[in-house]
Amino acid sequence: VRPFAYARATDVDSALTALADAPEAKFLGGGTNLVDLMRLGVETPGVLVDVTKLADHDRIEETEAGGLRIGAAVSNNALAVDPRVRRRYPVLSEALLHGASGQLRNLATVGGNLLQRTRCAYFTDVTKSCNKRQPGSGCPALKGRHHNHAILGHSEYCVATHPSDMAVALAALEATVHVQGRDGSRTIPIPGLHRLPGGEPQDDTVLEPGELITAVELDPPPHEATRQRYRKVRERRSFAFALVSVAVVLALDGDRASEIRIALGGVAHAPWRATRAEETLRGGTITEERLTRAAQAELEQAQPLRDNSYKVELARNLIVSTLLELSA
Amino acid sequence: MLGEVGAGWPSHATADVRADEIELEAPEIRERMSGNICRCGAYANIVTAIEEVSA
Repeated sequence: VRPFAYARATDVDSALTALADAPEAKFLGGGTNLVDLMRLGVETPGVLVDVTKLADHDRIEETEAGGLRIGAAVSNNALAVDPRVRRRYPVLSEALLHGASGQLRNLATVGGNLLQRTRCAYFTDVTKSCNKRQPGSGCPALKGRHHNHAILGHSEYCVATHPSDMAVALAALEATVHVQGRDGSRTIPIPGLHRLPGGEPQDDTVLEPGELITAVELDPPPHEATRQRYRKVRERRSFAFALVSVAVVLALDGDRASEIRIALGGVAHAPWRATRAEETLRGGTITEERLTRAAQAELEQAQPLRDNSYKVELARNLIVSTLLELSA
Repeated sequence: MLGEVGAGWPSHATADVRADEIELEAPEIRERMSGNICRCGAYANIVTAIEEVSA
């Protein structure tokens, strides 16, 4: 590990200043991904600015609109087990509990979860080329080991996936990220925070250098009787990343879907809102035949790589089975 | 682990995360051992031991 300086920020202004003053500085949350990447030499920050002790950043508060404002330093476990989250946003609890292990969730923060990097084996191996780590060096995953890579929205420069479970649930809940920079604050919707790789896979998100995630805000659930579910398919039952996952938020008016939101994980460089599938289903009844058509409409855009076409069928089946179960 | 179960913390093996009480059945125990204790076949008896202690 390259030697680095450590500073604990006590307020947002000093955190932002610390990062602006040292171009090689990085914010440190729980460190469950960043520190691993430092050990591998993938990340080599000169300064770590710890933002886990910022005032109020570890709180979950009710908003006036009836939603929740989740501080960026709230741990993944604290968020998952919060009774308000479990009752009103069970899809978020479920997604969090499907991620990592108990120990990691105790350390990992909400802000850090959003900003974790891809687990692509070429990205994490500094002896290999990688356009995300070293722009212009090439993407060995295109023709190499890519069985767990993207099938949607990828480019010839990068076929990596975003590994977060939480972000997939937040995409279905249409959460908003609060961001603070030296020039002021702004909000960014999810989806919208994470970008597709295009020709610049080095940028995972639309954040500007030095901007800090301060909170994630949830609107009230779209309907009192909203049905929610997170399902994740992985190579073993626990402590593994998704091959494909799905987050669904569904409100039924009689037997019709008055509100439907579907987000997929493990298939793209960002949480993937299945808007084509949603459009096919919105306002109509939920039947297996209509679900199959909706999933087909979404997955038509898929461009699987040599060894991951199984994900197309998996995503299709996951959409159908999860919604059938949820609407029953 | 038993403290978390007592406090009503769900896991991904919990059928309904909205429930206030967790039933500590074998799938719950196995999931909660994940990251703590090896879950390979040789350790199957640990599940039984935890069941016994928690009863």
